[in-house]
Amino acid sequence: PRLANPSIPSRLTPAKKPGNVLEEARTRTVWWGGGRLHVSSIPESLPCREQEFQDIYNFVESKVIDGTGGCMYISGVPGTGKTATVHEVIRSLQQSAEHEEIPHFNFIEINGMKMTDPHQAYVQILQKLTEQKATPDHAAALLEKRFSAPAPKKETTVLLVDELDLLWTRKQNVMYNLFDWPTRRNARLVVLTIANTMDLPERIMINRVASRLGLTRMSFQPYTFKQLQQIIASRLNRVKAFEEDALQLVAALSGDARRCLDICRRATEICELSGIQQKGSGLVGMSHVMEALDEMFSSCYIAAIRCASVQEQLFLRAVLAEFRRLGLEEATFQQVFVQHQGLCRVEGLQPVSVSEGLAVCQKLGSCRLLLLEGSRLDLFLRVRLNVSQDDVLYALKVD
Amino acid sequence: MLLRCVLKELMALKEVEKNLLLVELNGLLQTDDKIALKEITRQLHLENVVGDKVFGSFAENLAFLLEALKRGDKSSSRPVVFVLDEFDLFAHHKNQTLLYNLLDVSQSAQTPVAVLGLTCRLDVLELLEKRVKSRFSHRQIHLFSSLTFPQYVDVVRGQLSLTQDFPQPTFSSQWNKSISKLCEDKSVLDILKRNFNTSKDFRSLQSLLFLVVSRLSISHSTLEEADFLEASRLTFADSKANVLHGLSILELCLVIAMKHLNDTYDGEPFNFQMIHNEFKKFIQRKSHSIHKFEKPVVMKAFEHLVQLELVRPLDSGGVCKVQREYQLMRMMLDHTQVMEALQRYPQCPTDVKQWALSAFA
Repeated sequence: PRLANPSIPSRLTPAKKPGNVLEEARTRTVWWGGGRLHVSSIPESLPCREQEFQDIYNFVESKVIDGTGGCMYISGVPGTGKTATVHEVIRSLQQSAEHEEIPHFNFIEINGMKMTDPHQAYVQILQKLTEQKATPDHAAALLEKRFSAPAPKKETTVLLVDELDLLWTRKQNVMYNLFDWPTRRNARLVVLTIANTMDLPERIMINRVASRLGLTRMSFQPYTFKQLQQIIASRLNRVKAFEEDALQLVAALSGDARRCLDICRRATEICELSGIQQKGSGLVGMSHVMEALDEMFSSCYIAAIRCASVQEQLFLRAVLAEFRRLGLEEATFQQVFVQHQGLCRVEGLQPVSVSEGLAVCQKLGSCRLLLLEGSRLDLFLRVRLNVSQDDVLYALKVD
Repeated sequence: MLLRCVLKELMALKEVEKNLLLVELNGLLQTDDKIALKEITRQLHLENVVGDKVFGSFAENLAFLLEALKRGDKSSSRPVVFVLDEFDLFAHHKNQTLLYNLLDVSQSAQTPVAVLGLTCRLDVLELLEKRVKSRFSHRQIHLFSSLTFPQYVDVVRGQLSLTQDFPQPTFSSQWNKSISKLCEDKSVLDILKRNFNTSKDFRSLQSLLFLVVSRLSISHSTLEEADFLEASRLTFADSKANVLHGLSILELCLVIAMKHLNDTYDGEPFNFQMIHNEFKKFIQRKSHSIHKFEKPVVMKAFEHLVQLELVRPLDSGGVCKVQREYQLMRMMLDHTQVMEALQRYPQCPTDVKQWALSAFA
């Protein structure tokens, strides 16, 4: 099956076209990042990343025109548009290459998360360059030869390495090679690397690797409130589905664009549902966004404690009482159990047996309201709370 | 259960049935990404599957699957639903590669996929890596049982009642009548209340009802409250107390000696020699010659207790270089358990009983 084209079986009936404004809004807020750019949902240009776009563009363009090589390190927290920007750069460069404004170049992309092992990087690069298949060692040797041997009329290769931190090995030879190849005279290789932390080169790379990475760094700041607002607006362009203040609220939340679009999508869904029940304004309003936010970010611990059975709540109370008595944040099951039986008597319930008490304790442990040791220790297993004491008190007090 | 219902209802729609691909994974079975990937490609019937075998190495499989998913797009390829049971176990895989890739596909314009994770842990999001978490849509549904007791009793009634289409209507109406009568009975309600207090989930209820129903026979064809009493006795029994009932008098004496040691030294660990001394004191003071055992016999009894794990060595696991007599031990019993077992012990000698109580006097 080497030559087969893997694919998901195609669907038998065509997908529905979006029927109304809200549905269209929902499909437009789908995140476009990741692998190949999907033509239908990318915006005309990435809003708010013009400066970074320009920097990367200039860097790659100059290297392509000069026929030299180089490295660039791009960092930033997840959801700030790193990968999307680089893709955008490559796309516009490819366009200008088609118009013969700059020389043609190859583009290869690998992702550290999509490999089983750092050494697979060689295999994937080789496969994307020449369609050959080889073992990692063999592939490394072939690539080595390819990048060091002089060959006239060789095209520049742009290599995008996403999730760089996963290519770390003990001897760091994968990273070393990736950064060493561009320095060869005949390589004509531009390497763009992307990772989350800014100080990754200093933290995990040995000196000779870090020095080859060079100083061309760029960091993506989290989106500001204004920028996120702009992004959502550009994504929805022309479709009028959101009320103005609802949009602002969404944008004020976090610097992660993915998160923002998720909230938008969820709010749109909620709006759609309520729209079926009553004919409202048809727009996504403040209340819908608030509901979506509640759903996504509210802590579930308090609700879980409130819905727990009587004995479970008593057990939690016993834990708190024992903590207060000991002055520690940790107690053995035996100590808590004594308190538990006392509480049972106070509440006028039948006192529980040790087995029952342990079962209650394990149940709380399995949903991680408590942190427990292995149950083989039996009476001596240590119990800690996974929530703050105030939360427990609050949850128990209300009813 | 909820998911099953949803999927069943979805599959009943003709359009969905023809278009949907379902992939089910379980964290207990697919213990690493390699096995999970094989399972996915097998369930999707990709081209590298021949018969029920999946070919290629782990790396090839991953590349293959991603390639397949990438090729699809929204309008032409069939949507795939991934159901990840025991989701928290998937988060323990190396690098969380599988989760990253599935969520990445779900957030990008590739094959339309839906990833549904089921887990019992409330803090599962904290297990996810930052980049994986960013790709997760933060949509959670919490299933808490917020039943009140009357609702709980209704559930019991519903579970035990026969349905309308039972072949013998006279019997079923009789049976249902007896069930609703039972559900108003005081002692049955007490038992249900106790079960409800311990745990609100339906599994524990079902296991209780199963014990009740299994007592039915031809001669005993309707449920009575005695059945409930018996079943509750079985479910609420303390396991350690039951073990204590099966001990010999000598072993029981040792347990009492250990309890005294625990009392005097406030839970400090002890060794066999100390127990033996305590036991000897008891014999010298009170007992007749019946309880005069040789030391090796006492040792044997002690080892028996160790094997039952009523007593456990302090440093578990390690090779014990200490002689058996001097190894430090801990008793895995609560005082209430000991006293209760002693009360119920059949034909317990009075002097032993007195000795056990003497600490409190």
